[in-house]
Amino acid sequence: MGARVPDSPESPGREIQEEELRRFAARVSALLQGPEPGPEAVDGLQRLHLTVAATKYPRKLDGKFVELLQTVLCLPKSPEQIQVLCAAILREMSPCNDLILLSCDEIQDTKLLSLVSSVLLAQGEMAAVGQCVVKVLERRLPEGQSARFLLPVLANVISLSPESLTEGKSIGRAEIATCKKMADWLRYASIQQGMAQPSGGFFSSPRTKQPAPITEVDGAVATDFFTVLSVAQHYTQDQWLNVQTFSMLRNWLLCYGGKELSTLNSVDRCVTSLVSTTATAGRLLPPGERLRDKAFEYCQRLIEQSNRRPLKKEDGDLQKACLIEAVTIMDIICKQDSSYVCRAVSFLKVLHSRICGDATYARALLPIAQFFLNHSKLAAVDSDAIYKHLLTDIPAQLFHNPSLAFEFVQFCKDNSQLLTDSSSIFRQSFPNLFKFLAWNSPPLISEFVDLLPFLLDPGTTIEIFHLLLDLPCLTAALDIQAAALPASEKAGGDPAGKPATCLEAFRHPLYKSMFQYLLRTKSAPQDAPESLVPLRQLLGSLAGSPRVVQCAESVPVLLELFFRVVAEFADESLINQLVVLLLQRSDQLYEIPAFKEDVVLGSQLAMLCRLRPALVVELSTEILEFSGAVSNIQSKEAIFTHMVWAIGEYLSVSYDKRCTVEQITRFFETLEAVLFEITQLRPQASTPSCAPRAISVLMATLTKLAARSQDLIPRVSMFLSKMRTFVQSPAVTSVYCEEDLEEILIRATELMNLLKMPSVAQFVFTPPVASTQFQRDVNDSLPLALRMVTQLLEPAPGSMPV
Amino acid sequence: MPPHSWDPPFLGMLGLAGPQDTVPPTEGSLSLDEVGSLNTRVPLFSSRQVASQCQLLQSSLGRPSSPQLPQLPDEPLSLQDAPGGLFQMPPGDPFPERVTVVWLSVLALAFALVCEPQENLSLAEITLRRLAPRLLLSLRLLGPGADVLLRPDAADGLLDRLLPHGQMLFLNEHFLQAMDRELGIKASR
Repeated sequence: MGARVPDSPESPGREIQEEELRRFAARVSALLQGPEPGPEAVDGLQRLHLTVAATKYPRKLDGKFVELLQTVLCLPKSPEQIQVLCAAILREMSPCNDLILLSCDEIQDTKLLSLVSSVLLAQGEMAAVGQCVVKVLERRLPEGQSARFLLPVLANVISLSPESLTEGKSIGRAEIATCKKMADWLRYASIQQGMAQPSGGFFSSPRTKQPAPITEVDGAVATDFFTVLSVAQHYTQDQWLNVQTFSMLRNWLLCYGGKELSTLNSVDRCVTSLVSTTATAGRLLPPGERLRDKAFEYCQRLIEQSNRRPLKKEDGDLQKACLIEAVTIMDIICKQDSSYVCRAVSFLKVLHSRICGDATYARALLPIAQFFLNHSKLAAVDSDAIYKHLLTDIPAQLFHNPSLAFEFVQFCKDNSQLLTDSSSIFRQSFPNLFKFLAWNSPPLISEFVDLLPFLLDPGTTIEIFHLLLDLPCLTAALDIQAAALPASEKAGGDPAGKPATCLEAFRHPLYKSMFQYLLRTKSAPQDAPESLVPLRQLLGSLAGSPRVVQCAESVPVLLELFFRVVAEFADESLINQLVVLLLQRSDQLYEIPAFKEDVVLGSQLAMLCRLRPALVVELSTEILEFSGAVSNIQSKEAIFTHMVWAIGEYLSVSYDKRCTVEQITRFFETLEAVLFEITQLRPQASTPSCAPRAISVLMATLTKLAARSQDLIPRVSMFLSKMRTFVQSPAVTSVYCEEDLEEILIRATELMNLLKMPSVAQFVFTPPVASTQFQRDVNDSLPLALRMVTQLLEPAPGSMPV
Repeated sequence: MPPHSWDPPFLGMLGLAGPQDTVPPTEGSLSLDEVGSLNTRVPLFSSRQVASQCQLLQSSLGRPSSPQLPQLPDEPLSLQDAPGGLFQMPPGDPFPERVTVVWLSVLALAFALVCEPQENLSLAEITLRRLAPRLLLSLRLLGPGADVLLRPDAADGLLDRLLPHGQMLFLNEHFLQAMDRELGIKASR
């Protein structure tokens, strides 16, 4: 199999055959083994890397060549660029059995060790790399070497495979040693700035200057220990280590922080417990505890440092990231050692009140809230105020910040159980939460699919149903609200007249309360306005805006999920309510192209009826009103069709004992009138043209009803026999296509034939409620049954009775 | 419009230098072959997702989806206003665990950083905003010619400092300048 090299001006795309590759590798091999591998070798290695990387199939480089690459990589005198390229090629080939030679044991240079480790890790050699790195870190490093390049390797190892440091004979010894150093690097880095590298030259002055002290990000001289927020012109090695250590601190604590006591024997444990838990300098603590202690101190210092106004704007972003990290680490420490909780609680409460009014710090409120969710019980602290502020104020103000939106929704997802149990604020805030989705649909839709089930309960169902259908309206309203914010409080134009623009409407008395309801922050079913139709019409001008369209695209999947979840807990009254709402709202949707088609309410209606067939009888008034309105066929075609189908299926005494002959007759007459109107031979201008499906379903339902109340059979039969004339009338053939008309005619004929054998019809159309799979199969084979009966009655194929 | 000429190894270099830039077998859960194929498939999936998120964001902001390529600047640009975002990919295909993708779009290119769910996403955004201009500069990504594919060492050098072994670093501006000095990059004003 050859490899493809992509098209470029230098090398037009062509297949590289095995032989060609071998020759090329041999050439590179010769260059590498030469006295001083130069630009040609570099170029060769680069092309080789591309070849190896650009193929779907495993590349087989010659085993000897692979050995050579390994050798060149580990050779101290190899130029750095060549080493990097060798490592890159070896990584591309990993995992690979030819790389068994490679080992990090003999390597002195820490940069090279880091490079070699990258290859070994790609091979899966976590334990070997981990042990090696820790051994090197334990030792005193030779002059000029820095541990700085090794800490990231360690961090990688422990996140990929934490147990790799604890295996083997010396259980825990390695991590204890590293722990000790990490605590020192965190707490005792130099507080003086580093010196610039000597530039040499004629004009360089001898080193007489004293090193300057480090400063804070706002320029003030630092009065406490060095942290990542400390500023210097040049940094010392241990200051770099400080940065590295903090950067991997979270990971380390998560992997090893909880395991302290297991490495101590019983004597040590006693000693530990005798000593009080408030830290004082100079006291001997076991290494893990000591690291926690220094880490906690470091986090406190970072939080204080984040209060300063930075001279460089970009440092502000880092301050916030540090704040978030510090709070998170404190949370982890408190989980591992509950003696820290009290200190942390008071500290974080102060922090919270400091930042809760500042929108730029909003993301930091999440780890703080998480902390209180995790520890408030222990601290006996009432954190309701914190959740309330978080859930009520933040989404309303900052829904447009996509990063905050994402993290906020993650927070809700991660804590959905806790939040639901601990207070009602969470569920009640769903109008606010949906603002995130309304504004940032594409990245958040899958998150909301996970979140929605937690927001649904019998109390919130109806309100959420409306909200989902109006979600694109919410997007438009948020847009207007944002535009209206800095406006003066002038009343929106003439109260008696209509507002000229959406912006004016925002404050117009006619629309103000509707806007306010849509933009509410808490669940408020009792405040729902009579109808939002005027508002939807007003917002029609924004229906084409990209954000609105994107939001509209996310609604169907949520609706589907909504009904699936609700079906599981809804009781009779709730199902009935939903059905009535479905009938009402199916054409009260925001006028976005494709929205009405995508929002498939008809099948949901059918599902609800299937769930609770008796509702057809219970809601007969509403259903009769709905199915009797001919206009509904056009404006709500899908729902209409499903409703009529449901009537045919479920209006029967076998589903509800209360179903009387009068009721059947009433439904029959209503539907008959509708069918009559839409199948006139000479349709008037006012007659709606409707989908053939509607006609078919009406015919089928009427037949089904007649089968149950046999007095109606003659009426249906007569009607059905007139369908031939209908189908052939010139006015009708111009409106419908030939296949559709043919279908209608076939259906009419089948139904008519079935009615000729009333007892069979009754059996076919009113089966017992299917409770076994066999019976369900019978129901599903209804069309087949119809065809069978037709064939029985019409032995000559193709001939139709006149 | 993200260019269609993205090739898998290109993205492997630039796209996914997160803590999971390689996926070695852990405790025999994946065979060597599976690991190998995962290493190549991963970049492809992420890039499609990022491209579609980028296009959706651009369209929601009302911006044209085919930006023009400007003259290449000499110094690292500041990318404060470049469009970007976060999204999650569920466990399964292609990553075994749930991951969060942080992405940034610069003109005709997008960069993506793949993070574990519990990582510091603010820091990820900062890291990406620092990586992108330096990669653009060092690799001359917006210039003509496809020789960027032939310079994995340049990309590796940058990634080795700013994202060593996938480790994100809390670097303030002065540390960043010191690092730029080490790398030989001209500091931005």
